[in-house]
Amino acid sequence: MPINLVDLGLVYGVEVGEGTVRLRLTFTAMGCPATEMIMDDIRTRLLAEPGIDDVQIDVVWDPPWTSSRLTQEGREGLRAWGLSV
Amino acid sequence: MEVANTARLDALLKRGELIESVSEMTPDYLRELKHTLVVSGDTELISAPAYYLAAKKAPSVNAFMTGIAIIQDELAHAHIAYHILEELGESQEALIFKRDPKAFRYPYAFDVPLESWTELVVANAMYDQAGFCLLGDIHEQCSYGPWKRGLVKVMAEENFHLRNGRNWCKRISQAGGAAREELQRAVDWMFPLTVEWFGLPDDLKQHSAQLDYRLKGLTNDQLRQQWLATVVPFMESIGIRVPAHREGDAFTLDYPFPCTFDAELKHWDVGDPCSWDAVMARWRARGPRNAEMVALFQESFSTFQVRA
Repeated sequence: MPINLVDLGLVYGVEVGEGTVRLRLTFTAMGCPATEMIMDDIRTRLLAEPGIDDVQIDVVWDPPWTSSRLTQEGREGLRAWGLSV
Repeated sequence: MEVANTARLDALLKRGELIESVSEMTPDYLRELKHTLVVSGDTELISAPAYYLAAKKAPSVNAFMTGIAIIQDELAHAHIAYHILEELGESQEALIFKRDPKAFRYPYAFDVPLESWTELVVANAMYDQAGFCLLGDIHEQCSYGPWKRGLVKVMAEENFHLRNGRNWCKRISQAGGAAREELQRAVDWMFPLTVEWFGLPDDLKQHSAQLDYRLKGLTNDQLRQQWLATVVPFMESIGIRVPAHREGDAFTLDYPFPCTFDAELKHWDVGDPCSWDAVMARWRARGPRNAEMVALFQESFSTFQVRA
């Protein structure tokens, strides 16, 4: 999918501490088949940042994700990919 | 009438234009298109029971959900091919539910049971990569407009399957020990099966109507090389041995191709080269799981039929 997690509206919060990033993350559906893949990508990407050696991801479901959380860029990206949003 | 059609079709194909309806086709073109669609639909369809029987061995709920999502994608991709076949005058019902198991036209590899999560993710990394090469070529080159357009989303979804396969292969290899040995064993029998997936070598295949009609753009050997060029470096990068190496611009196999395969033991006898006639005979006879897999989607079909 040619759209990042922030534009998709999945990132609910980020706290950066001493060498640590803590992320509040949701998914578009509880049955999302890509949860592990997405979390692996997040860990790999954040651990590549200088000074970051610990990534904690809290998966949250409240408030539930809806398409209203898409940014304008995200909306356009999904439309270009063939999804009606 | 047909002469005029042939000339018009040739002209359309030469100009690189798309065919949009049966009225623009010759009977030969229609037959080749249908045959190509049946192989594609059958391949996607049979991957569903093949993957399902292995996805049951998933190591976690999340992994199982990913496996099931991939199966759902494969069924949808099969539907695209069968739907187009219906528009071309075939019956989806007859194609899916009323054919003899041996009449299905999918690669022999799927007839050899995938029996573990490891074998499933190797299939995602190697079989889905083969499908990706073949469908990618059709997506780029196909002269039949409705199929070409239908494949845009198929390609995007196949990417997800490849990622699942590669991520898991990497993870299993990193785990080391018995897990890694199981991965190596799976690659050992599945790699040559995927190599033969692309069919007869070009020097034995005299003529391809599929190429003439621009239903695909690359030859069997070109597609095989494309697959080798992605799978060999990937497997080597995660420390898994594969029986092929790069020589100049091309990849060379390190075993006699073709050679004898024992499907029950999942074993290649590299000391026993065989003819392509023998390979064709093995394909025609189908492999161990053919009937079981077709029964999985055919057996309940008539249960809820409303009879007139």
